[in-house]
Amino acid sequence: MTEVTLSNIVKFYGKHQALHGINLDISDGEFVVLVGPSGCGKSTTLRMIAGLEDISGGEIAIGGRVVNDLPPRDRNISMVFQNYALYPHMTVRENLGFSLKIAKMDAAEIAKAADEAAGILGLEELMDRKPAELSGGQRQRVAMGRAIVRHPDVFLFDEPLSNLDAKLRTQMRVEIKKLHQKVGNTIIYVTHDQIEAMTLADRIVLMKDGHIVQVGTPLELFNTPVNTFVATFIGSPPMNLIDGVVSGSSTIQLADGLSVPVPASAQGQVHNGQRVKFGFRADNLMPYGHAVEEEGERADLELTVTLTEPLGTETVLFTDLAGTEVQGKMLNPRPVRPGEVLKFRLMLDKCHVFDAATSDAIRG
Amino acid sequence: MTRRRLPEWFLLLLPAIIVIAAVVLIPLIFSLYSSFTPYKLTRPSTLWKWVGTYNYEKILTDAKFWAAFGRTVLFLTIALNLEMLLGLGIALMVNKVTWGQRTLRTIIMFPMMFSPILVGFQFKFIFNDNIGLVNNALQSMGFNVALPWLVDGKLAMFSIAFAEIWMSTSVFAILILAGLFAIPRDPLEAAKVDGCTPFQSFRHITLPFLMPFIYIAMTIRSLDVARAYDIVQIMTGGGPARRTELLWTLMSRTGYVDARMGLANAMGYVSIILSVVFTIYFFRKLTAARAQIGMEG
Amino acid sequence: MDRNQSYRNHKRLMKALHFSGLFIVMSIICIPGLWIVLNSFRPTVEIMAKPPVWIPTFTLDHYRAMFGGAGEGGVPVFSYFRNSMIVSVVSTAIAILIGMSGGYAFARYRFKGKNGYFVGLMLFRAVPGVALSLPLFIVFARVGIIDTHIGLILAYVAMNVPFTVWLTDGFFRQIPKELHEAAEIDGCTRWQAFWQVEFPVAKSGVASAAIFAFLTSWNEFALASQLTRSVGSKTMPVGLLDFTAEFTINWGGMCALAVLMIVPALILTFLVQKHLIAGLTFGGVKG
Ligand SMILES: Nc1ncnc2c1ncn2[C@@H]1O[C@H](COP(=O)(O)OP(=O)(O)O)[C@@H](O)[C@H]1O
Ligand SMILES: [Mg+2]
Repeated sequence: MTEVTLSNIVKFYGKHQALHGINLDISDGEFVVLVGPSGCGKSTTLRMIAGLEDISGGEIAIGGRVVNDLPPRDRNISMVFQNYALYPHMTVRENLGFSLKIAKMDAAEIAKAADEAAGILGLEELMDRKPAELSGGQRQRVAMGRAIVRHPDVFLFDEPLSNLDAKLRTQMRVEIKKLHQKVGNTIIYVTHDQIEAMTLADRIVLMKDGHIVQVGTPLELFNTPVNTFVATFIGSPPMNLIDGVVSGSSTIQLADGLSVPVPASAQGQVHNGQRVKFGFRADNLMPYGHAVEEEGERADLELTVTLTEPLGTETVLFTDLAGTEVQGKMLNPRPVRPGEVLKFRLMLDKCHVFDAATSDAIRG
Repeated sequence: MTRRRLPEWFLLLLPAIIVIAAVVLIPLIFSLYSSFTPYKLTRPSTLWKWVGTYNYEKILTDAKFWAAFGRTVLFLTIALNLEMLLGLGIALMVNKVTWGQRTLRTIIMFPMMFSPILVGFQFKFIFNDNIGLVNNALQSMGFNVALPWLVDGKLAMFSIAFAEIWMSTSVFAILILAGLFAIPRDPLEAAKVDGCTPFQSFRHITLPFLMPFIYIAMTIRSLDVARAYDIVQIMTGGGPARRTELLWTLMSRTGYVDARMGLANAMGYVSIILSVVFTIYFFRKLTAARAQIGMEG
Repeated sequence: MDRNQSYRNHKRLMKALHFSGLFIVMSIICIPGLWIVLNSFRPTVEIMAKPPVWIPTFTLDHYRAMFGGAGEGGVPVFSYFRNSMIVSVVSTAIAILIGMSGGYAFARYRFKGKNGYFVGLMLFRAVPGVALSLPLFIVFARVGIIDTHIGLILAYVAMNVPFTVWLTDGFFRQIPKELHEAAEIDGCTRWQAFWQVEFPVAKSGVASAAIFAFLTSWNEFALASQLTRSVGSKTMPVGLLDFTAEFTINWGGMCALAVLMIVPALILTFLVQKHLIAGLTFGGVKG
């Protein structure tokens, strides 16, 4: 069993505190994605698990064993780096076999393990090339091969796809997921790309400024964000947020005299005069005839489209609501000209309310 | 179990620090001390006689010293600037060549491999008034002259500077050429499209980009400006009548010929300070120039 | 039409200027060296001839005299060559080990006052050889290593370390730090990671730093002329002086020894020219 436990992990770089007490339990075989804006401490966390950074405070355990002071080689982990870090003076075969050679395994075993890894990743043809003679995607694959050769307890990935072009990235994403299904190891994966996080993760850890903001399955983060940061970070396009003030106990007064009822989930949690942010996703603001669900509370609005982004199966519509630019969506798209006025339907029971002062979600 | 408690970087630097302390620092401290004594090699007991700043006062009031000092600074300033300009010119010319560039680059590096003392002898030979290549060539071309290249004060200074520049221009040419290779194409092409003349784009794009490379060369050069000592020592020995005397030849004469170590070491300190000032100056320029084009990484 | 024509003429003129400029420069660079080589093969009478003889005669006399040992005023070239080799090779090897370790520290570790240490190190290199030779002579005489290989090797190690640090720092900096991290994750100790991964990758760079150090020792005169006295330790640059007498210089013999000095330097420099430039430009001064 190789669960990974971080208890109250703190990291200082000199005076600068990069991590403020990270607590995280990762169970055996789980695919956990650390996601967050650049500089939030994802890599630092991962590198501390790997043993590449000193731990300023707290405790890291892998498979129940505290590893705080163990060097990387004694942690039985493997890591794929953003720039691959292939050994440029070795062939693909030697790159794959390097860790086993260091472990003093005999040549036949090393060759077998390298061939096996090459088989899994489709590298058989490239075994005698040097990294400089490989394309980006091939290098990426070799880096992964080097990680799986040693059958580690935990795989660590630090933004492994960010140097690839968009198409290859999608393709490798699928391969990583398949690899996880095949080998079933614990994977800790770092990315700043929320789509990667959503598609890959069993569980997402969303970080900001050295803190964990929310931990949960992709759908939990999507459907019940704990604050406006999660709401705008997860999902594309980001959640629309409009300033408003609670009036009475069940109405939110937006600018322009518009008002909406307090969503059922937040009822009883707000008080008169509270400043809030009213949030909803583009999927929940659609023109008539596109709103899939016919049940639930709805508000009808007439809005002027200012800009459209056709994506094929759907079109994102930009419009103004209560003085704020918001985005809606149209399924079964047809050409829409800027300036066209459409009748939109806002699904009120899918809306969110956040406290304007703390940014935290208000939810029962 | 504790990892990296001792600072590894210090352990790694330690051998370098030790060897430099032993071979450079200790002798320098000794010489600093002896520069406050009337130490003469021939009379060891003089090492224990403290005369304070007597030696320094003596050189500060010595016209011969000041002449050598001024000549050294002037010589370095002229030589370094000429080397830089010539190096720039050579690099630009070689950069324009479309074939055989590698060969040219190798040829440019030639003088870098010559021992300074060898350069001294080489030009002593070439500028020899009797059998030297230069005078032989002049005479064969019909000028019935035997120019006293190394005997006349002005000509001797010229000959020495020529040798020095011959030896050291390569450093500039090679590094500036490396800089030219590294210049990104885009800004140059953008400038061309924006209507810059070749001179304007050189002035506003190429040159700022080359500055760090020029300063690297300057720094490297200032680290061993004193190599000129070898050349001068061989070519003229500071003569005729001290007209080519530089700080270093004066010091070496005072120390070895006159055996006045204390005085020579005082001069040595002046020369060290001179080198250090040159080096620090260019180091700072280098850092600044690097920051300016965002190369500090 | 006309403007095209004038631009074309202008271009042609520039081309001619460019070509002749290059030709002159290359001649000035090459002729002094070639002159030395040429004269090493000419008989002394011809070198001294007045009016000058322009069609050279070929002779190996100077080389014969040089290698013929100490007879007929010959110079013990073999000993000088051997001394130069021993001193240069050993001091280079030591300087590279010490310098590489220092360069690695600058390239891979963050620490307070890094720039200060670096500049400080460089400044020791800036101490003029002549200025150092006086006190070093006295100190070495005290320790009793005047006129020995050891003394000169020590001096050259100290002289070469700063520059080796600069160069190797540059080369190690170009290697991403992830490389040794990957090696450590693959099971290496830091020491193994260095020798198995970082060193092989930086090898050609280190080699050029070594050659630079070798050339510095090989060509050095100011220190060697004071720290060596006898045939047992004099190096070739000092040996050149053996060809000078009070009023005359044996130019032919000196040229032959000069050729012997230049050839190894030439070969080595040719081998590393590319890396050398890379090391110089990437090294140093950056925190
Ligand atoms: N070696 C370092 N020295 C000082 N500060 C660092 C170092 N590495 C990272 N940091 C700082 O720590 C914070 C977190 O960095 P990192 O973990 O790399 O973020 P990311 O989430 O983008 O991977 C950043 O503010 C960064 O500037
Ligand atoms: Mg990162």
